[in-house]
Amino acid sequence: MARSNENVILTTGLSKSFGDVQALQSVDLSVPRNSIFGFLGPNGAGKTTLMKILLGLVRPTGGGGTIFGHDIVRESVAIRERIGYLPQQPRFIEYMTARENLRFAARFFFSGPQAKIDQRCDEMLELVGLQEKADRPIKGFSGGEKQRLGIALAQVNYPDLLILDEPASALDPLGRQEVLNVMERLRKHTTIFYSTHILDDVQHVSDTVAILNHGRLVACGPIEQILNGKDGVVYSLAIKGTPERVAERLASLEWVTHTSKARHNGTTTWLVSVNNEEAAEAQLLRYVLADTQVTVTSFNRKKYELEEVFMDIVKGDADGR
Amino acid sequence: MAANLEFQRVNEWSWLRGFANLFRKENRAWWGTRRWWINALIWPLMLGGLVANMMFVPTIANLASAEDVASAGGITAYVIMLGISVFFEFGIQAIGIGAVILCQDLLVDERQSGVAEWLLTKPVTRRAYVLAKLLTNVVFIFLFLIVVPSIVIYGLFYLRAGEAYSWQPFLSGVGIMALHTLFYITLAVMLGAFTNSRLPVLGITLGSLLGGGIIGSFVKPALYVTPWMLSKMASLVVSGQPVPDGLFWSPIVATALWCVVFVILAFVKFEKVEF
Repeated sequence: MARSNENVILTTGLSKSFGDVQALQSVDLSVPRNSIFGFLGPNGAGKTTLMKILLGLVRPTGGGGTIFGHDIVRESVAIRERIGYLPQQPRFIEYMTARENLRFAARFFFSGPQAKIDQRCDEMLELVGLQEKADRPIKGFSGGEKQRLGIALAQVNYPDLLILDEPASALDPLGRQEVLNVMERLRKHTTIFYSTHILDDVQHVSDTVAILNHGRLVACGPIEQILNGKDGVVYSLAIKGTPERVAERLASLEWVTHTSKARHNGTTTWLVSVNNEEAAEAQLLRYVLADTQVTVTSFNRKKYELEEVFMDIVKGDADGR
Repeated sequence: MAANLEFQRVNEWSWLRGFANLFRKENRAWWGTRRWWINALIWPLMLGGLVANMMFVPTIANLASAEDVASAGGITAYVIMLGISVFFEFGIQAIGIGAVILCQDLLVDERQSGVAEWLLTKPVTRRAYVLAKLLTNVVFIFLFLIVVPSIVIYGLFYLRAGEAYSWQPFLSGVGIMALHTLFYITLAVMLGAFTNSRLPVLGITLGSLLGGGIIGSFVKPALYVTPWMLSKMASLVVSGQPVPDGLFWSPIVATALWCVVFVILAFVKFEKVEF
């Protein structure tokens, strides 16, 4: 489908400074349609600032961008017609009930029919499990309930793009799982752009990831690509015996870029980085097994955890500064 | 999404997108809370009580000299003059203070709490946001702080005199009172766009209200371009006394212009606020 390849959010050279502080430095970002885009970064990396620029709450000092093809500065209202937003700390009209808040939010988009608006509000209350408390004042709501109501409010207008700032950070594990489930359900209808510190959640639901550090985009791409790590494709072999001869042979192969090994209890764990995945899959194990002096006890492609990649990238970026 | 097609989309003038819904919300902030009945009770009771005290308590009238009573045209006319003076000189200041207290956090409160940030992520122009707050509060403040107390005071005049007080000068006085109040509402809203703190809003507006007359007594030209003379002027107009030359239209026109300038500045500044 051509449509699903379109970018919903596109920024080029987006920058923002607050006095001498450079909050964002020339960020080039593209968020594909119908993706769940996880936006990562340590505290103060500039995630919220970037989201606020996209929503028209903050003006960029350099560069620009579009959402649905509309300019983020000049056509912000047209963009906000199609967006749902959950702030880091959801806010409501305190003297209204949950249902009244939903009706109020829906009225920014729909003028009628009233029965349909009410039905939509009921659907949203059901989605986030707040039917029982729908007509109670917001003041008595717990943090988790407020977060869930915030999610309902963000979706009441059938948004084409949901922007969620730390949607699960204030929730217990059960609440977090509920939020992730809701995000999964919405995937086919909408694009979700969300920031988080919880890397485990990103690995579970996101298909695309960007990492922001000190206002700079240091990594961006499909989650599989990010999880490959910066060393590219790496294979891990556990070997018994003397692997020196096979090591020399492997190092001479043109698709092997790097090898490293660690010995533990008579077993050598060998990491082989390659630049040709197909060649490696077809030949790597054969090359090693051809040497009768070694026994291979395990062979697999190394899978990084997102946390490992994140720490690596962020630390590497800090070292390089 | 297909379900989306079953709805009627909001169709508003793009310059004021979101105004109708925000205006409803601001109305609800009055009608849906105790704010309306508290103000609907306090102001008529407070101002009506003060005026009634001047007009119906015999000891007040007994304090007047025979000369003052004679120059007013009798004891009834004298106490009605006292009532006019209390309502249009003291009352105008009290209503100004009330308006400032009600409006000091119109923008500041939602900016500090994050509600403004949330609302402005909806399809809403910032002009619509400011205008909805301004218009609603002008309407309710005029209604509960000026119109209802004015009706009560007019009724008290009727009761004391036994006949209806001339309505044209009374209405002119109420009009001046409304302009004076509008000045402080728009000033408070404009300051709320410039600052994120209640203190400067309260300090500047109350400083002008309470200290303006003192400044005017030292810098006479200031009285021609500010609302500082309006309370005395309202009292003179209602009681049918002459207003000093040039001190009628000049402060009225200047105050009206200030109101327009404050609204424009509030729009321009709020457009640039970052959340």
